[in-house]
Amino acid sequence: MAPASSESVSLSRSAEALDAIQVEDQRPKLPGRLIIVEGIDGSGKSTQLDLLRKWLTNQGYLVMFSEWNSSPIVKGITRHGKRRQLLSPMSFSLIHAADFASRTYSQILPALQSGAIVLADRYVYTAYARDAVRGVNRDWLRRLYSFAVEPTLAFYFDVPLEEAMRRISIGRPELKYYEAGLDLGLHNDPFESFRRFQGLIRQEYECVVDEFGLLRMDATESLIHQQQRMREMVRPHLDGAMRLPNPPTADAWQVASLLGHNQAERRPLLEPGE
Amino acid sequence: MTAPRFYGASPPGVDDIALPGRLIVIEGTDGVGRSTHISLLKEWLESRGYAVVNTGLRRSELAGRGIERAKRGNTLDPLTLNLLYATDFWDRLERQILPALRAGMVALVDRYIFSLMARARVRGLAAEWVENLYGFALVPDLVVYLDIDIEHLVPRVLGSTGFDYWESGQDYLAGPDVYGNFVEHQSRLLGQFRRLAAEHAFTTVDARGTVAEVFRSLCEVIEPVVEDMATFTDIADGHLLQLPQIASE
Repeated sequence: MAPASSESVSLSRSAEALDAIQVEDQRPKLPGRLIIVEGIDGSGKSTQLDLLRKWLTNQGYLVMFSEWNSSPIVKGITRHGKRRQLLSPMSFSLIHAADFASRTYSQILPALQSGAIVLADRYVYTAYARDAVRGVNRDWLRRLYSFAVEPTLAFYFDVPLEEAMRRISIGRPELKYYEAGLDLGLHNDPFESFRRFQGLIRQEYECVVDEFGLLRMDATESLIHQQQRMREMVRPHLDGAMRLPNPPTADAWQVASLLGHNQAERRPLLEPGE
Repeated sequence: MTAPRFYGASPPGVDDIALPGRLIVIEGTDGVGRSTHISLLKEWLESRGYAVVNTGLRRSELAGRGIERAKRGNTLDPLTLNLLYATDFWDRLERQILPALRAGMVALVDRYIFSLMARARVRGLAAEWVENLYGFALVPDLVVYLDIDIEHLVPRVLGSTGFDYWESGQDYLAGPDVYGNFVEHQSRLLGQFRRLAAEHAFTTVDARGTVAEVFRSLCEVIEPVVEDMATFTDIADGHLLQLPQIASE
């Protein structure tokens, strides 16, 4: 599932499950763009995606944000399973696949069909890395997620383990059971377990990055530098993506002089004489 | 002794355990009489000294109630629904069925992966994808398929619960014709079940007869599967496996 070279998003070749559902149109054309970020906890991927979202919305692009493990239908079950510690490697994997399927059908596909830009914080590669560390068969995982839409651009934020740990230890006073990978029995201390778990995920990511040609970002660079590089890579893919004729907040931003350096990126708000 | 055998790759954590129990699955469409026969079979087996565990769809601690909740809404696509059922199924396999088999019990399972596969297929999911998904399932010692035709099914459903939204395929078939949709959906399901029965060598039992007739046929096909367990469990007393005495109707 290498990032697509064409301007619109295509379904992965093995997406038979999806094709079969879309009986009326065997291979739906999806005029939108799908941009996803991956990386271990503390890699800064969410920060970068959020900055990218601000840049895109400021230019009037229609942006839809989809976050891992956020489907309203599935979330309750996952929360229940985590709270009661009912999740085994397979149920953990299956419930996240259900979440992903639900988001694909109710958010991602409709948005791409309408021409919007979909930003996803974590995508199938998170499952490939994390579930494989929990011992789930890699080939089974790839077939399971074969219904996923192939991203236009997939970024991997590469950060050394110790740097990620340093960032996490500042921001998080406490680690949750599954977050720390305590179900794997790697170590009794949550932080040590978390460090080993993230280390294993990072190793697995290395294989996934090569296999699917994810775009590697040096997550130790300054935030502004990373964001500039990201925008440079995204810009060529924006031609023809759906834009709001009048960005709703643009006037307000202009009044408040909040446009900053993004102003240059935007189309003129008002035509002369209007 | 049942060696753990899976349809696909072994799931993590369960590939190396001895399973002296028996996994017996009763498959069949909605309203065919599965739950009636499972209660009868449980009685029959227990009265003869076999410890029995029974389980069925949506009875997992993890996802059972979540699925009920999700089905009440109106935003459920077939793929998500199937994955929720897969989660529910796996949780029951791992935490109800496998422990029972490890302990040498008979696990009597009301619907297995085949009902879930049939439902997925009639709703348009690709066969290859569905088969890969359920590759984590343990291969049962016996799958009994209760076969029926639409003519015999309709009066049974009307006599019990009536036409249910999901059992009538209302979620994917068009129009307000509930009866028409029920017939269409169940006919498609029966087609899938018969295909699966041939593919996976189910033992087919004709479910059109009386409860007594069907029960007797079930006992006959289950008997040989549990027979030799007595030698492991030391409860053989010579009368262990008499077929039930039921007055014919």
